[in-house]
Amino acid sequence: MPATPAPGSVGIGLRAPHYAQILERRPALDFLEVHAENFFAAGGRARAWLERFRAAYPLSVHGVGLSLGSVDPLDEAHLARLEALVRRFDPLLVSEHLCWSSFGARHANDLLPLPHTREALDHVVPRIAKVQERLGRQLLVENVSAYVLPGGEMPEWEFLVQVARRSGCGILLDVNNVWVNAANHGFDPYAFVEAIPAALVGQYHLGGFEPTAAALVDTHGARVSAEVWRLFEATVAHLGPKPTLIEWDTRLPALDVLLDEAERARTLTACARHATRQVA
Amino acid sequence: MSALAAFQREFMDTLFAAAPPGDARLAIYHGAVRANWARALASAYPVVRRLVGEAFFAAAAAAYALAHPSRSGDLGAFGERFADFLAAYGPAASLAYLPDVARLEWALHGSASAADVPPFDFAALQSLPEDRHGTVRLRLHPAVRLLECAHPVVAIWEANQHGRDGTPSRRDGAERVLVARRGFDPLPRALAPAEWTLLEALARGFTLDEACAALGDEAGQLERLLVALAAEGVVCGFDAPG
Repeated sequence: MPATPAPGSVGIGLRAPHYAQILERRPALDFLEVHAENFFAAGGRARAWLERFRAAYPLSVHGVGLSLGSVDPLDEAHLARLEALVRRFDPLLVSEHLCWSSFGARHANDLLPLPHTREALDHVVPRIAKVQERLGRQLLVENVSAYVLPGGEMPEWEFLVQVARRSGCGILLDVNNVWVNAANHGFDPYAFVEAIPAALVGQYHLGGFEPTAAALVDTHGARVSAEVWRLFEATVAHLGPKPTLIEWDTRLPALDVLLDEAERARTLTACARHATRQVA
Repeated sequence: MSALAAFQREFMDTLFAAAPPGDARLAIYHGAVRANWARALASAYPVVRRLVGEAFFAAAAAAYALAHPSRSGDLGAFGERFADFLAAYGPAASLAYLPDVARLEWALHGSASAADVPPFDFAALQSLPEDRHGTVRLRLHPAVRLLECAHPVVAIWEANQHGRDGTPSRRDGAERVLVARRGFDPLPRALAPAEWTLLEALARGFTLDEACAALGDEAGQLERLLVALAAEGVVCGFDAPG
């Protein structure tokens, strides 16, 4: 089994334009996170880069295409490639999304919202269990941003907690997604965080959203907003420090901007820990 | 059908409808999936994109995604049939060479991510008794692709690389193309007739005796061609019976 990551560790999402700089500068990051599918190839340049990163940093493997919540059968070929990647690179963390992406063999290649129903719960839990069995390790499952609420029998946080309790998976709590969904669907983001048992959470994600006329959109194309930093502080105070990742995908800025965000996460985590201790 | 399945079917039909839905929230998804597909296609087909321009490419990508839906959670696998699609795509009808350029780019895309294998072990081949050489079957590197094109796609591809003005060295004539990796960079090269004959024979699993026969009048060139192909990393191993 891989080592357990330190609770207050901080990493960034590894994106191709930053590869060379990261290896050259070796910034003080505790881990790097990669999208699993970008390294599914049998060989070639991407794979060779990942070998070099593995030698320099602990890795986290974050899948975006497994379609855990789809009513289609699990894509065995996809799962086999994920398994091969995980076995080869032995990352600290492996995560996927609590969502669906495909139906009738057509793939949307996007993270689509599940209804928070008992039916969806009964459907997704054994699929997560199967993935964990195949990988021989615990999977962290992330709450996704949603622009529509497909109707439900329970709040999102209860659905997420039930999934983790019943499947044995951990929760990758995306604090930005909590904020985005709270704003888009009108609930209290702090109530969401308070409903999550600390022991179930294995990692935090932080990214930037962008407001549009229709909704807040989780573009991963901006700095973490001030409101989300405040929610993150409260989250760390309540759930404790966990490995925390800065994610940025669209209009990728200079590496220093990501490092700056990562440093802020590190500082806030230290402050929130201190605050928690004082309270205790 | 379960409520979950009915919901997913309806949602997916909305995403795959040509027109965006009236609901502004659903329209976010309708736009996002198209952006993801277009980005994946643009990354696999940069020369096609440069040849037709941004707006044309975006329209073609959107039409392609509906005609040949993505089948994988790995966007790297999206775009396999883009060349066939372009061949039948009305707005591209005047660009006869475009499907061949797309075929070449898909070959390069696949070559880039093919397995890495150790270089050809000449010593092992030489250690075989000479009378067995004829029954040897050479293996092509997993990154090798062979294409027959009705248009000078290598010339067009080269002219549309970064820093080039887009004017190909020739505009007409068929090309037989080898794609192979130099380091991690897949590169295309137009083949001489004897090279093509030999490579096609090897790709079909011919023995060296059979490949020699296929070369006909050029059979005397076999050794020279093989040494050159091995040096290029095109041949990576061999199977010897017995």
